[in-house]
Amino acid sequence: MLGIIRIDGHEIPFEPGDNLLKVALAADVDIPYFCYHAALGSVGACRLCAVEIMSDDPDKVPRVAMACLEPASDGLEVSVSAPAAQQVRQRVIEFLMINHPHDCPICDEGGECHLQEMTVACGPAYRRYQGHKRTFTNQNLGPLVHHEMNRCITCYRCTRFYQDYALGDDLGAMRLRNEVYFGRFQDGPLESPFAGNLVEICPTGVFTDAIFRQHFTRVWDLKTASSICPHCSVGCNILPGARDGTLRRVRHRPHPEINRWFICDRGRYGHQYSEHTARPLTPRVAGATITYRKALIAATEQIKAAGDRIGGLGSIREDLEGNALLRALLNNLNGIFSAFNDPELEAATITAVNRIQNSDGTPSLTEMEQVDAALILGDLTAHAPMIDLALRQAYRRGAQLTVLHNGPTPLTQFAVTTLPVPPHEMGAYLSRLHERITASPASKDVQDESTAEIAERLAAARRPLLIGVVETLAASEIIALAQLATALGTDARLAYALPGANAYGAALLTLASRKTTTILEAIETGQIQTLIVAGTDPLGDTRLGSRWRAACQRLNTLIVLDCIATTTTAAADILFPVAAWAERGGTFVNYEGRAQGFAPAFKRLELLPSTAEVIADLVQCLDLYLPDAPAVLSEAFPGYQAPVPGSAGSLMPVHPLPTHIDTATRSDHEHHHKHWQAALTTWYGDEELASFAPALMKLAPTATALISPAAALNANIEEGAQVKLRGPVGTMTLPVQLDNRVADGTVALTRMALVQLGVGHGDLLELEPVS
Amino acid sequence: MTWTKQMNNRKPPMIIRLWHSLWVTLRHAWARRETVSYPEVKRPLPGRWRGRIVLTRDPDGEERCVACYLCSAVCPVDCIHLQAQQRDDGRRYPVTFRIDFSRCIFCGFCEEACPTLAIQLTPDFEMCEQHHSSLVYEKKQLLIDGQGKYPGYNFYHHAGVAVPGKTIGEADRDTPPVDHDTNLP
Ligand code: SF4
Ligand code: SF4
Ligand code: SF4
Ligand code: SF4
Ligand code: FES
Repeated sequence: MLGIIRIDGHEIPFEPGDNLLKVALAADVDIPYFCYHAALGSVGACRLCAVEIMSDDPDKVPRVAMACLEPASDGLEVSVSAPAAQQVRQRVIEFLMINHPHDCPICDEGGECHLQEMTVACGPAYRRYQGHKRTFTNQNLGPLVHHEMNRCITCYRCTRFYQDYALGDDLGAMRLRNEVYFGRFQDGPLESPFAGNLVEICPTGVFTDAIFRQHFTRVWDLKTASSICPHCSVGCNILPGARDGTLRRVRHRPHPEINRWFICDRGRYGHQYSEHTARPLTPRVAGATITYRKALIAATEQIKAAGDRIGGLGSIREDLEGNALLRALLNNLNGIFSAFNDPELEAATITAVNRIQNSDGTPSLTEMEQVDAALILGDLTAHAPMIDLALRQAYRRGAQLTVLHNGPTPLTQFAVTTLPVPPHEMGAYLSRLHERITASPASKDVQDESTAEIAERLAAARRPLLIGVVETLAASEIIALAQLATALGTDARLAYALPGANAYGAALLTLASRKTTTILEAIETGQIQTLIVAGTDPLGDTRLGSRWRAACQRLNTLIVLDCIATTTTAAADILFPVAAWAERGGTFVNYEGRAQGFAPAFKRLELLPSTAEVIADLVQCLDLYLPDAPAVLSEAFPGYQAPVPGSAGSLMPVHPLPTHIDTATRSDHEHHHKHWQAALTTWYGDEELASFAPALMKLAPTATALISPAAALNANIEEGAQVKLRGPVGTMTLPVQLDNRVADGTVALTRMALVQLGVGHGDLLELEPVS
Repeated sequence: MTWTKQMNNRKPPMIIRLWHSLWVTLRHAWARRETVSYPEVKRPLPGRWRGRIVLTRDPDGEERCVACYLCSAVCPVDCIHLQAQQRDDGRRYPVTFRIDFSRCIFCGFCEEACPTLAIQLTPDFEMCEQHHSSLVYEKKQLLIDGQGKYPGYNFYHHAGVAVPGKTIGEADRDTPPVDHDTNLP
């Protein structure tokens, strides 16, 4: 039932249960406030939202109340402009300002400071209090967030976000009276993957962006444009801000169904990659810098010489336009195209996209917050951080989480059941779970209690969510998860965290699996002479890096388009540096299949075309005729309309993908007692682009070999002991760290270590103690 | 009535008029001159004259400007460009500070907006140049070695942040910092 309240004569409808402040803000009626936040609710800490409420009884005087704590009720008469309410607000500001430092000129919040705005709106224009100010020392909170505690107005938003919303435990309120302090017990980096949101949630300059601080610019000088985060498949909406041809910072941009008010720290701080000193900025041919024109001519010659002996690799982090044009060019030249450089990842991603298209819609983040049970396969925090935050909300609402993992993952803290499963046994475990769920009650054996428990919990849930991390699953396991969802009935929701910002689009454009293997084999047999690589790093791949490196030796020409310095760009014969995401427009398709457009926020001083533009220029030099990117896309996907940047995005039209999956991709070797399964252990900052962000990388965990205490006991290895790992490509010695979240017979290693050893997730390697 | 009018309108005789003009001319030939022969002679200008802009230093000899961007924001012709940078010791300063005097209208808004009294207009207007580009002054041309019109002010002694020579709690009218590790009053 809707009701009506009257605020200063305006009639405003409300939903039952809403408070006055929420109702007013929704109707664009301004009531000053500090501590209320749509995501965090009301606590009544700041006392700024005073309004006057008329009594029903005309003989009674109106009372002043806090709008954020007052439930709306039908017929309520409210006044924001009443002198009594105005006076309360003015006094509140004056009191908050008593201890406030004289900092605005050197405060990074200035210009977008809630306190400044409220002071101008409600407070006295001059300071009357001439006494002494209370002060606080600051803490070193790590490389991402700068702390300046004197500016605090004790609204408690920071702890309410950090502890209550994001479930972090290393930042809180200390002391008492007018000396409440918000910080950590001791100096040290904030541990939450969402700590950067403090910068936006704090209405004052207590928490500010430590990266932005290094090249600070006021908000009015920043050039911004609606953009999409390029660092994972969630597709959070962001607002990059640039000035003088350099990217300065990234903030969230609300999307009602995805990230709403927040983004993760990878999204907020990963943007430093586009300002990295090693970033290629001038075209190179055979190692020598050259003009763009000449590089185009050189590439044209090579492509012409190669004829149809040409291949192209698109990328899961390259936008839809770049990938589609590259594919169109290769189709025109009768070459082969794939958007992946690892056949297993290709098969897994295409399978996942296929399953998503065959399910009735993957849940958005807001829908995930409403689930009441979830089965999580892999480390969501590292592969899709904001999905982790959404599931933390589900957990706060009472959802029961089950995590099946190979290595450590932060979500295990909130799970009812966590089960370390070695990579090779994941498939078998999922089919056991499937059997449990589908089997008749009588035939259920009581042997495997935890499986039974998980199965029962999922079956009993009204809205269960099944979600898997594609990068650490094989295609067969992805199918098994989808079958589990089918077995659980129509209320079960299925989702996959895909391996890149545009992995969905890359899968749609690659179409059939095994394209990558075909390209790799064609290079090895000399059938491909020229390879065009756009925005990916096959030579630096974990599993196949060495094979790609060997294969590329046989190429006549390796043409690379990228915006970061990778192993592949270093080996390129012709290198076209391209614009990073904030410098160009494009489209990413997120894990739901939602195509979202992003607009260029700025141009750098160097001439940096986008991938699609380089390919269009190549097409022109080759005297070919190809339609432009929008035309290519609407041809590839009938019914596709380019999403406007800043809009909510549009679902990709359903597109037939092969259902036949070759499931034998997981390299199954003989099990040997010396053999361990490698598992990829990552953290929220680990991603190809973000790994070029220096500040974020300061937080990277040190490389160790993580094994479970039980396995260590078996193999007679002690914590801290050095072990020698031997993979097909190399060896390395690492200290052992025991962690009971690692599965048996599994050694969890960082991506760097996997690259060095030449193993992928789930591959076998040898481990022996160094004596 | 007509008679008086006729009397008033009657001109003095020609000879008187001639002598009068000669007398005025002669008197002016010996009067004190208002015009000076600039540039050999320069007139003193009032201290608040709005001319060439400088960046001043605080009493300790440190740059006053904290790169707050307020002058560049208020400038009606957008002729101030700067970039803030942070010193390791906590002081913020402009790493570049550029004023395009070919655009500046010497309105003085920047000086009014400046919260640190760093930017000041001076009584110097002699800035002719052959080329436009020479009118773009960089920081090294703007930064002077003195305090300008407002001696004695040091912004950091009023602010809450720590800089060399002043830790937190040592600003004018600050109390020593609260020890947040204890709950005792
Ligand atoms: S928090 Fe706001 S009011 Fe306080 S110093 Fe910073 S900008 Fe000024
Ligand atoms: S630190 Fe910021 S968010 Fe936290 S209580 Fe103080 S003003 Fe509020
Ligand atoms: S005097 Fe006026 S025009 Fe000149 S710099 Fe200052 S604000 Fe700009
Ligand atoms: S207003 Fe003053 S302190 Fe701020 S940038 Fe300009 S000169 Fe520097
Ligand atoms: S917003 Fe109502 S008391 Fe703070």
